[in-house]
Amino acid sequence: MIKLLHVEDDADIREIALMALELSGDFDVVQCETGEVALKQVQSYTPDVILLDMMMPGMTGRQTLEKMREMDSLRDVPAIFMTARAQHNEIEELRDLGAADVISKPFDPIALADQVKAAMQGA
Amino acid sequence: MSSKSFNKRTAATFFLGSAISGSWYTATSALFAGQIGEVLPVVGAIVLAGITPFAMNALRSGSDQPLENHNMAQRLKAFDSHAIVNILDTGGILTQVNDRFIELTGYARDQLIGQPVSMLYNERSRELAAEMRATLMQGKTWQGETPLRCADGRVIQTQCTVMPLFDQQGAWAGSISARTDVTHANELLAERDTAETLYELRDDIWIVDAETLRFSYMNRVAMSRTGWRNDSYSERTLQDLAEKSGNQTVLEACRNLSASGKGMTQFDTEIMGNHFQVTIKLLPIGGTAGRFLIMMHDITDIIDEERMKSEFISMVSHELRSPLTSIKGSMGLLLSRAAGELPSKARALLEISHRNADRLVLIINDILDLEKISNGRLEFNLQKIDISELLRETSAANASLEQRHGVRIQVENADAPMQVVTDPNRVIQVLTNFLSNAAKFSKPGERIVIRAQETDDELRISVSDRGPGIPASEEHKVFQRFADLSNSSRAEKGGTGLGLSVCKAIVENLGGKIGFDSREGFGTTFYFTLPKKNSLVAAEEPASLLREAS
Repeated sequence: MIKLLHVEDDADIREIALMALELSGDFDVVQCETGEVALKQVQSYTPDVILLDMMMPGMTGRQTLEKMREMDSLRDVPAIFMTARAQHNEIEELRDLGAADVISKPFDPIALADQVKAAMQGA
Repeated sequence: MSSKSFNKRTAATFFLGSAISGSWYTATSALFAGQIGEVLPVVGAIVLAGITPFAMNALRSGSDQPLENHNMAQRLKAFDSHAIVNILDTGGILTQVNDRFIELTGYARDQLIGQPVSMLYNERSRELAAEMRATLMQGKTWQGETPLRCADGRVIQTQCTVMPLFDQQGAWAGSISARTDVTHANELLAERDTAETLYELRDDIWIVDAETLRFSYMNRVAMSRTGWRNDSYSERTLQDLAEKSGNQTVLEACRNLSASGKGMTQFDTEIMGNHFQVTIKLLPIGGTAGRFLIMMHDITDIIDEERMKSEFISMVSHELRSPLTSIKGSMGLLLSRAAGELPSKARALLEISHRNADRLVLIINDILDLEKISNGRLEFNLQKIDISELLRETSAANASLEQRHGVRIQVENADAPMQVVTDPNRVIQVLTNFLSNAAKFSKPGERIVIRAQETDDELRISVSDRGPGIPASEEHKVFQRFADLSNSSRAEKGGTGLGLSVCKAIVENLGGKIGFDSREGFGTTFYFTLPKKNSLVAAEEPASLLREAS
């Protein structure tokens, strides 16, 4: 099973992503509603892949990842961003930050699991 | 003529003279201000008051009747040299004109006498003549400005007072007109208005000597901005302004204009905290380096408003995407049987909802693209690509259209590689839009053909269908936003109403052209071109591989 940490402030989107990932049967999903909560979570939980929303109240997805990258245990964990504003330069910046992929919202729930696996392989 | 009747007529004409001069004074005082306004009405009034009675007598009696009074002759001479006088009969026929009339209009006397006065008027003043005639018939005086057409075709403006004339029985016998040429005065007035307008204009106006770069004029707002006054700006130069503002752009633009020999340049810049659209014209003045007319339009507020609008649209679009993610995601999961098998009717209804959620996403994407395009913020990621390969890939990626609409998509003339530097994702976006439209308007079993043609200068990519075609009367609407074409229901066809206007903006930003050929009942070919030359230049400059659209 792939341990996936999903950070997303929108409860509905969290539920849809959870159902979509569980459908594949390959993921063990832990979800957090903010970057701050996620940073506490990773003190005791080391995921295989991180799925981060970009725009969140408080810490953004980008700030959250920057903090996570400071931790030895998470330095090389593939991270995938989800964003409703995907301009080319923003995508490039996120990739420079070490993002394995950037998924645009609205995403296709049926394709989500495969997209995450593909990003992990390419990372 | 009895002395009684002479005296009666003389008294009447004196009255007429006073009336004309009074009207003249009122009219010219109202019209002119300043020095002209002070002098012209007074002179005119004096002359008209004194001269009109004698002039009328002289004109009535004809030039062959000797004037008995020497003083009267002098006054008539003064009148002749100042006023333009003519007499008409009741039919509007010229019966008398004075020498000044002849001199100013350039006609010979015999070209005028016996002719209708309308020969001196243009279309507009013919309406005035009708109004004038109606006033006179009521026994009233008419006053106003009338143009007069001269023998050489010139038109002069005259300030005119027209009074009715009556015979001894009191019947209307015609009219007398006394005019003054106000063409020059009007020009002075226009110049004064222009100067005042420039001074009061909200835009900065500077005039700068092209050789010394010294300011020779600044309007009020320019003086206020620089802090330089009427008595000091002529000591200042553009160099001083550049140092004061920390902005060399205007100075350099003026120098470049002088060096290049061009007449005009336009650019945006920021000076002293404000954004300006600057227009500089080099005005040639014989034998000198000329003058720069510099006009600066403050666009700070416009830029702020645009930025706020842009942020608002971006925010709204983003806020719409989050609920749409949930809506589309839920429906997608239901349709994939994540919650078990659905009854067929429920599934059909869900498919309609899902399809329209897709359409909403497309509309939001198009609105965002158009907003970015209009602000020059749409990004283009230029790469050297093989367009033949891209066409084949796009065709394969749109295979779902074949299934949905029962059409066949074929790529022709794309076997050999065709290199071009462009943004592949944006080209795919345009092509996908063309293909989607072609599929929607094709019948099952019909072919849609993608073709590429290469010339020395450009690549031409087209998508042809055999659909109903576009009526000629509606061709002009095709690239308009939310255009409603008669054979295209957006709800039915699933379009956004924005797609083609986005395509047009993308293609034009990539340096190409977009268009279509259509024949109603036979089909449509949409095409776009991509320039080879510009794109290859771009390829040699790595910095421009990622650029913002201008």
